[in-house]
Amino acid sequence: MSDGQRFEEEEFSSQFNGSTVMRLLGQLRPYKLQVGIFLACAIGVSFMESYFTLLSKQIVDDGIVAGNADVIGSLAFRYGALMVIFAAMVFFFIYVCGRLGHQVQYDLRKKMFEHLQRLSFSYYDRTPVGWMMSRLTSDPERVSNVLTWGLLDVTWAITNILASLVFMATISWQLTLIVAAILPVIIVVAIWFKQRMLVEYRDARKYNSMISGEFNQNITGVRVVKSMRRENANLEEFNQLTGNMHRSSYRAAWLSAMFLPSVQIISAVAVGAVAWFGGWQTTTGALTIGGIQAFIAYITFMMWPVSDVARVYAEMQHAIASAERMFSLLDSQPEVVTREGSTDPGTIKGDIVFENVNFFYDPAKPVLKDFSLTIKQGETIALVGATGGGKSTIVNLVCRFYEPRSGRITIGGQDYTTMPLDAIHSRLGMVLQTPHLFSGTIRENIRYGRLNATDAEVEAAAKLSGAHAFVSSLESGYDEEVGEGGILLSVGQKQLLSLARAILADPEIFVMDEATSSVDTLTEALIQQGMEVVMKGRTSFVIAHRLSTIKKADRIIVISNGEIQEMGSHAELLRQRGYYYNLYTQQFRQELERSYDEVFNLKASERDLEVEAERASA
Amino acid sequence: MSATPTTPHLTHLIKRSDYDLQEAVRLNRFAGLWRMITGYRAHYIWAIMSQVVAVSAKTGTMVLLSFLIDDVLSRGDVLSVVPLVALGFVGLATIEGSFTFLSGRYASQTAEGVAYRLRNYLYDHLQRQPFSYHDKQPTGDLMQRVTSDVDMIRRFLSEMGTQIGRILLLFLVNWLVILTTIHAGLGLFSAIVVPIVFALSMFFFGRVEKRFEEVQSQEAKVSTRLQENLTGVRVVKAFSRQNYEMARFDEENAKHFQKNNNLLLMHSLFWPLTDLLTGFHQAACYFFGAMLALNGDITPGQYIAFVGMVVYIIHPMRNMGRLIVQGSQALVAYDRVVDILKHNREPLGEAEAAPVETVRGAVEFKGVSFEYERGLPVLKDVNFSVKPGQVVALMGATGSGKTTVVNLLMRFYDHSAGQITLDGVDIRDYPRDFLRRSVGVVEQEPFLFSRTIRENITYGVGRKVSDEEVFAAARAAAVHHVIESFPEGYNTLVGERGVTLSGGQKQRVAIARTLLKDPRILVLDDATSSVDSETEAAIRDAVKQLLPGRTAFIIAHRVQTVMAADQILVFDDGHIVQSGTHAELVEQEDGFYRKIYDMQSRIDEEVEKELGE
Repeated sequence: MSDGQRFEEEEFSSQFNGSTVMRLLGQLRPYKLQVGIFLACAIGVSFMESYFTLLSKQIVDDGIVAGNADVIGSLAFRYGALMVIFAAMVFFFIYVCGRLGHQVQYDLRKKMFEHLQRLSFSYYDRTPVGWMMSRLTSDPERVSNVLTWGLLDVTWAITNILASLVFMATISWQLTLIVAAILPVIIVVAIWFKQRMLVEYRDARKYNSMISGEFNQNITGVRVVKSMRRENANLEEFNQLTGNMHRSSYRAAWLSAMFLPSVQIISAVAVGAVAWFGGWQTTTGALTIGGIQAFIAYITFMMWPVSDVARVYAEMQHAIASAERMFSLLDSQPEVVTREGSTDPGTIKGDIVFENVNFFYDPAKPVLKDFSLTIKQGETIALVGATGGGKSTIVNLVCRFYEPRSGRITIGGQDYTTMPLDAIHSRLGMVLQTPHLFSGTIRENIRYGRLNATDAEVEAAAKLSGAHAFVSSLESGYDEEVGEGGILLSVGQKQLLSLARAILADPEIFVMDEATSSVDTLTEALIQQGMEVVMKGRTSFVIAHRLSTIKKADRIIVISNGEIQEMGSHAELLRQRGYYYNLYTQQFRQELERSYDEVFNLKASERDLEVEAERASA
Repeated sequence: MSATPTTPHLTHLIKRSDYDLQEAVRLNRFAGLWRMITGYRAHYIWAIMSQVVAVSAKTGTMVLLSFLIDDVLSRGDVLSVVPLVALGFVGLATIEGSFTFLSGRYASQTAEGVAYRLRNYLYDHLQRQPFSYHDKQPTGDLMQRVTSDVDMIRRFLSEMGTQIGRILLLFLVNWLVILTTIHAGLGLFSAIVVPIVFALSMFFFGRVEKRFEEVQSQEAKVSTRLQENLTGVRVVKAFSRQNYEMARFDEENAKHFQKNNNLLLMHSLFWPLTDLLTGFHQAACYFFGAMLALNGDITPGQYIAFVGMVVYIIHPMRNMGRLIVQGSQALVAYDRVVDILKHNREPLGEAEAAPVETVRGAVEFKGVSFEYERGLPVLKDVNFSVKPGQVVALMGATGSGKTTVVNLLMRFYDHSAGQITLDGVDIRDYPRDFLRRSVGVVEQEPFLFSRTIRENITYGVGRKVSDEEVFAAARAAAVHHVIESFPEGYNTLVGERGVTLSGGQKQRVAIARTLLKDPRILVLDDATSSVDSETEAAIRDAVKQLLPGRTAFIIAHRVQTVMAADQILVFDDGHIVQSGTHAELVEQEDGFYRKIYDMQSRIDEEVEKELGE
């Protein structure tokens, strides 16, 4: 089973899974009172609606036909008075039920979010972000709707049908039998329609998202489209998609146009039968005029509760599929956890030792094999080597985002799996290759490193990291918004801010993954400077891409295929004339070549200055 | 009528997709919509007419009921007429049902057909817009217009339009029947609350809409926060900020809960309030109607029909507000879609003949200037001439005008002054279609589509391509073995749902794609700085495969690439500041080129020095 299938969105099992349903209903357990209130209101409303029809019958029979004006007056009054109670109940069931729905949605989201915070990296590695997003956005809404409104509608519908049948029976049991015979037919037809419609709507939604994807690609890739002259072929392909979409959405619309009329026509047969048989009964006096009227009213109304039941039944299947996916998220267990009996050593300053560590993400592909390494407290380690060689794995293991599959890692002599997770994580500082910021202000982002830091401390950290200069050049300074994911800032600026964040955290172990994408010379110099500040006196790991960083490290470790290929200082490794030597000379060449652009850029900035000077003088 | 749905007939809908929607643009909204549904007007009129029949049949049921009670049951011969009346009920219901179905069917046929045509048209319209259009349009905004706005128009036609019609018809038909056949005074009385319900509904849904939007935007905030947390999971864990994140998420989640409840409050007030209003009114109707019946002003049958009909003139009105608010949003959506249609397409001249039969590849720029934005020239008086088969290197900093040269050559933009010729003929005399077929581009960061690798390689070829050809192109581009190493080989999907290719791999797939296109003129953005040396060599070899027999423009970032070129053009600020061969340019001591070259030759010295330390 490929991941693509595993994370397929719209799949759902066609049968009810009893335990899922029970677990779903369990979400309502803390809210028994609210459920009781809205169900009671639903039953009351439903009962009264059936009763109003009976009332209307009595006006005809006991008032008009019997010629009694007093009865008419009192019945109309009763109708009006009951309406007040009715409206109050409607208010309560809408409000209580709706609120409870929102509550369940809120609860589910909260529960899942908190669970996600506990899950380990291994979960995030194999689960697409989009999949997790859907679990927290669309699924809770769908599930809570069925749990509340669905429950309400079904209760209302069943009460309505039952109450109507009872009232009908008091008028004429023979006619009631006719209605009771036709009712199951209507229900079966209705459910059949609703299920078919759901399938078609699902197809239409699937095509719809494919159409969006195709639109998006064609807009973002318009340059290629034009230069390849693909317009005609693209339109033809797109037409296939829209054709499919058209077919399934038209079919869905067709079915839904067919639904009510079909139910209506079947119930009309019941109306006809009532008129026929009832008409005959009136001659014998067994049935009154008002009785016929009431029966017709009951039957024509009955299609609404029936169609509600069918709709909820169909939606229920959808909701159960959603619930199963949510529960699968909630049931995933974190791999890396704080073990029982863990002790916090109070600091993680100390030597870090890898003892015969084996590690893999996928058992078929070992990443580290019998890996041993000792890192002295305060040492700066530069990790170099090809992508996929194991550099990031070493860092992930040091941070205890993963744990060794076998062997052990000790910090200051203590096996780190005997420490609480938080003891390690709260003493880490990290700067990523593609630095991640959160939307909010610059100040908030730096403060992420230490939540109780004062504004002065935040600014001090920014100064140390070298971020202060660019921050103060911004219009609102530290209160400038960084945009979603920091989109309003350049990569270099984001990296400076994440350095400031790490400095503020005052970590005991510092980890940095250098950016490969080019940063302008000035920013690069600032980043170097910031790194030095944060690495001073701290055990540091740098996945290094820049020569200057590599050269400054205490020790360079060349990792290849999960093994240490070369290790030593810059000078030592150069003398070996091995992998590092080649890497160095090649990289050196590239860095120098990059400065070719600067010849132009320098010229360009001189020109800009001239233009500005001219503008200023003018 | 059978309940089994059959596949609807579609063929006759599709043939109308060639209707030029641009014609619908210049009129006011309703007239524009009317033109937009050209080809479906008859269907739409049918949809509305069917509603008239269906609504009349519904009212007919009530009339029949009053006939049954007054004229049949109270007189003698019950047994002979009653069965006919019973059949009448079934017949009327069948008519009502059938025409309700027909109305729904015709309305959705119109709506789906128009949406289908509109999607295709917009898709084509967008891919045929000039670059100057795409430069200015944010993708997210365009996406919104071509997806949700189109859907709004679809729903307007399929739901809102016919529902508004239905509500009005229900009111009119039932009211008229009460007024004319039952009792005028009762009819007038029964309509008293209609304007109140209507006004209340408008007032309410106007407010609901605002609160609904607040909920939507809060929902967006919740998902942003969630997404940031999920993508930033490394940072969250590294700083051990789980609790903080929970609190932050809870903040938005709780706000969402609150805003949802604000919206809910409106609903939980509106519906009982109108229930109460219509309930009291109904009680009054019962009372007055029954009194009239008691006095003999109307018959019991008429009373019963009245009670049945009065519901239909009031209750549906409660939804008017919602429909009108949504309808006005649909009109805004219509405006946003029309806004796209307003822009004219770039003519490609597909049917036009080119002034030459085959391109040899001589390119000349004579005093060419160009500006993307008025007053900001990017090319200034550029002159150069390239012979067929020559390799030309373009050097210069970002924004110096290199890429613009290529854009002008393919007529992605039209130059503002001077002349560009291809094989001696002004390129404005060539159809764009022909030019773009003749020029192939390999970009610095090539765009690949979320399709299979094979589909990406054959993307620009308008014919069936054999596997051998695809393999040969991939081999020449030094990417064949990489593709073969994937479990699904050439059928591997690229992008989110498939493999993520590295920059170097993408570039080589793009080279294979261009090889298959086999253009006479080649443009290559040579960006090998982000790949390792092995890949770099592979790409260099691949490029060599591309060059023979073609005129090539290489946008170069390194001297190494440039040295073998027949001509080197050095750009600065839209001017060509130096041109010539490597040998010639190296001689010019103050030139840019010499500076760069010197820097290169220093490399070896420095490495040696480093080793000596």
